[in-house]
Amino acid sequence: MSLRSGFATFAGRSSYWFLHTFLHGGSSLPGKITLKLDPNILKALGANYDVIVITGTNGKTLTTALTVSVLGQKYPSILTNPTGSNMEQGIVTTFLNAKRPKTGRPIAVLEVDEANVIKVTKYIQPKAFVFTNIFRDQMDRYGEIYTTYQKILDGVALAPEATIIANGDSPLFNSKELPNPIQYYGFDDQPDGDFKAKPNTDGVLCPVCEHILHYHSLTYSNQGKYFCPNCGFHRPELTYRLTKLGEQTPTSSTFDLDGHSYTIGVGGTYNIYNALAAYAVGRFLEVSPDQISQAFTANERVFGRQEVIDVDGKQVTIILVKNPVGLDQVLHMIGTDTHQFSLVGLLNANYADGIDTSWIWDGDFEQLVNLDIPTVITGGERYKDITFRLKVAGIPDSHHIVEPDLEKVVEQIKLVPTERVYVLATYTAMLQMRKILAAKGYIKEGLGV
Amino acid sequence: MTYELNVAHLYGDLMNTYGDVGNILALNYYAKQMDVHLNVKVVSLEEDFHAADYDLAFFGGGQDFEQTIVSQDIQTKKAELTKFIESDGPLLAICGGFQLLGHYYIGANGEKLPGIGALDHYTLAQDNNRFIGNIVIKNQETGETYHGFENHQGRTFLGTDERPLGNVVSGKGNNGEDGTEGAIYKNVYCSYFHGPILTRNGDIAKHLLIAALKRKFPTADFSQQEALSIPATF
Repeated sequence: MSLRSGFATFAGRSSYWFLHTFLHGGSSLPGKITLKLDPNILKALGANYDVIVITGTNGKTLTTALTVSVLGQKYPSILTNPTGSNMEQGIVTTFLNAKRPKTGRPIAVLEVDEANVIKVTKYIQPKAFVFTNIFRDQMDRYGEIYTTYQKILDGVALAPEATIIANGDSPLFNSKELPNPIQYYGFDDQPDGDFKAKPNTDGVLCPVCEHILHYHSLTYSNQGKYFCPNCGFHRPELTYRLTKLGEQTPTSSTFDLDGHSYTIGVGGTYNIYNALAAYAVGRFLEVSPDQISQAFTANERVFGRQEVIDVDGKQVTIILVKNPVGLDQVLHMIGTDTHQFSLVGLLNANYADGIDTSWIWDGDFEQLVNLDIPTVITGGERYKDITFRLKVAGIPDSHHIVEPDLEKVVEQIKLVPTERVYVLATYTAMLQMRKILAAKGYIKEGLGV
Repeated sequence: MTYELNVAHLYGDLMNTYGDVGNILALNYYAKQMDVHLNVKVVSLEEDFHAADYDLAFFGGGQDFEQTIVSQDIQTKKAELTKFIESDGPLLAICGGFQLLGHYYIGANGEKLPGIGALDHYTLAQDNNRFIGNIVIKNQETGETYHGFENHQGRTFLGTDERPLGNVVSGKGNNGEDGTEGAIYKNVYCSYFHGPILTRNGDIAKHLLIAALKRKFPTADFSQQEALSIPATF
C-alpha cells in the first residue's frame, strides 16, 4: 500500500469510527472521504481479496447474501457490502471496515449497481462476475435493457480474465461475444414445447437476426429455453441446472439442482433463480452440494425481507415492488398461499419509487381475480392510479376499500376478514408504512429494508 | 354483448415499454360498459395488416432497438395502414407509434429512420436531453383536460392538416417550443402521454370507441353509449 493509500485508509477508518461512535451512522461518508484523499484507493484495498461481483436488475441483494452464506461453508473469511451500499463509496467503506483475516486469502462478495461495475473493475480484477437478470426497471432513472447490459459490459471489458457466471435463461446474456470464460445456469426441468412469450414481454428479439424468439420452455418474463426459428440462435449449454421444481409456497421452495434436492425458506420463482446463482458460485469455488444445502437451510436471516408482522392478530407481510417483472413474480408467489388472504396495494411516485407510475399497467394484476380475495385496500400518495388499476383488473367495488392515508390503512388492516395480509408497496410507501407500524409498536424502528 | 369490434394491437410484442398495454385494458374496461366486446389481436413482424379486418387500432411506444426493427417492418404495412387511416379508421398511437405514423424520426445514434408518412409530422432528436415529467394539456375544441407523464427524446413537429391533441398547460409537449402536444388527424389520436393515456383520460377511450362503433354500424343508435359518463381516475 502506497503512503497516500495508507493515509487515505487511515482517514476513512477514523471517520467511520467517529461516525459510528458519536453519530450512529455513516455507511458512505467514510468511503467518500477516502476516495477524496486517494481516488485509486480501491486498488490498494481490494488487492488482497478474491472478488465476486454480483450485478443485475432484480435479486442482487438476496443473491449476494446467499452467496456469502454458501461460500461461508468452506471459506473462513468473507467480506460483503451491506444492502443498498452498492455504489463506489459504499464499496470502499466495506473494505475499510474489514478486519484483517488471520489466515488465507479472503473473499469479497460485492453487490454492485449496474453502472458502478466499471468503477470497481478500474481498480480490481474480480475472480468472477454474476449476472442475475436485466429487466426494464424504473425508466426515468435507468435506461433500456440493452443500455443497462452495455454499462455492465463496459466494466467487464476491464477484466477479461474473470469468469462470468450468468443466467443462461436470459437471451441478453448470450447476445455479445466476450473474451471471458462464461458459465451459465438455468432451468432445465420441462419437456420441450414451442411457443412465444406473452405479448407484453420485454427483450424478445433475437440478438442475431432480429426475429421474435420462441421458447421450448419458459419460467417468467423473457427467461427460458429460448431459440430462434429463423437463424438457430439458442440458449447456451448450461453448466448448472435446475433439474426439478418441487413444492412452492409463499415461504418456501423445494427444487433439485443437478440432481440434489434443496429447500430455501422463501417463496417465489425469482428467488429460486437467486439460489441457483449462489449455488453456481459455490460450485465454481468448489463448495460441495451438502455444504450448499446446509447454507440454504441454516441461514434464515438472509430472507429477512419477508418478515411477518403481527398487527393485533393479523399476520402482515410487507413486500417491496418496484418494477413489472418483480411485481408479477410477487403476485404469482402470494397466489401459491393455500390460506385465504387480504391484499393491500400502496403506491407512491417519489424519486426512489420511480416518478412515472405507468409500470403498474405492465403488472398482471388480472391474475388476482381468480384468487378469491375478500378484501383489497389501495392507498398511498398515488392511490388513484393503483385504485383504477385494480378496478380495471376486475376487483369488484364491494371488496375494494380506498384509503389514501396510511395510518388509516393500518386500522383497516385490523378489520379484514382474513388472518393473513399481504402489503405490496413501492419503496417510499414501504418506509412510511414501517414508520407508522414502528410508532404503534408493532415493529422496532430501523429494522428491515 | 350486443356489439363486437376487432382491435389491432400493432407490434404489441415489441412496442410496449411504458405500460402501453394499459391502453388496451382501459379500452376493454370502457367497451364493456358500452355493451361492446373487443377482439384484440397483436399484429407484429412479418404479419399482414388488412385494413378491412379491423375496426380500431392501437400502436404503442418501444425501446430504441425495437423501434428500429419496427421502422423497417412497418413499411410492408404502409399501404394498408394508410388506407385504414384515410377511411376514418380510429387509431391511437403513443410515443414511438406516433413517430412512426409520420415521415421520419431521428434514432438514438443520430440516423434518420423512416415512418410511413400517413400523417404529416416529422420527429427530430435533441442532444443529451429528454422531456421527462408530468404533463397537463387542454383540447381547445372539446374543452377536455388530459393528464399524463411524458418521457421522450424526440421532438415532433406537426403538419398543416394535423391538429394538436391539446395545448400544453404544464410540461413540454411535442417539441418544447410550439405549445402543442400530440396530434389529431381524422380519427387518429397521437400523443407522447404515458400513464397510460386512456387510463387517466377515459374521454379519449370513449371518443375512439364511439368512432369505431359509428363507422362499423352506421345505422345503429349509440345515444346510450354516448351518454356514458367517465369518472375522473386521476
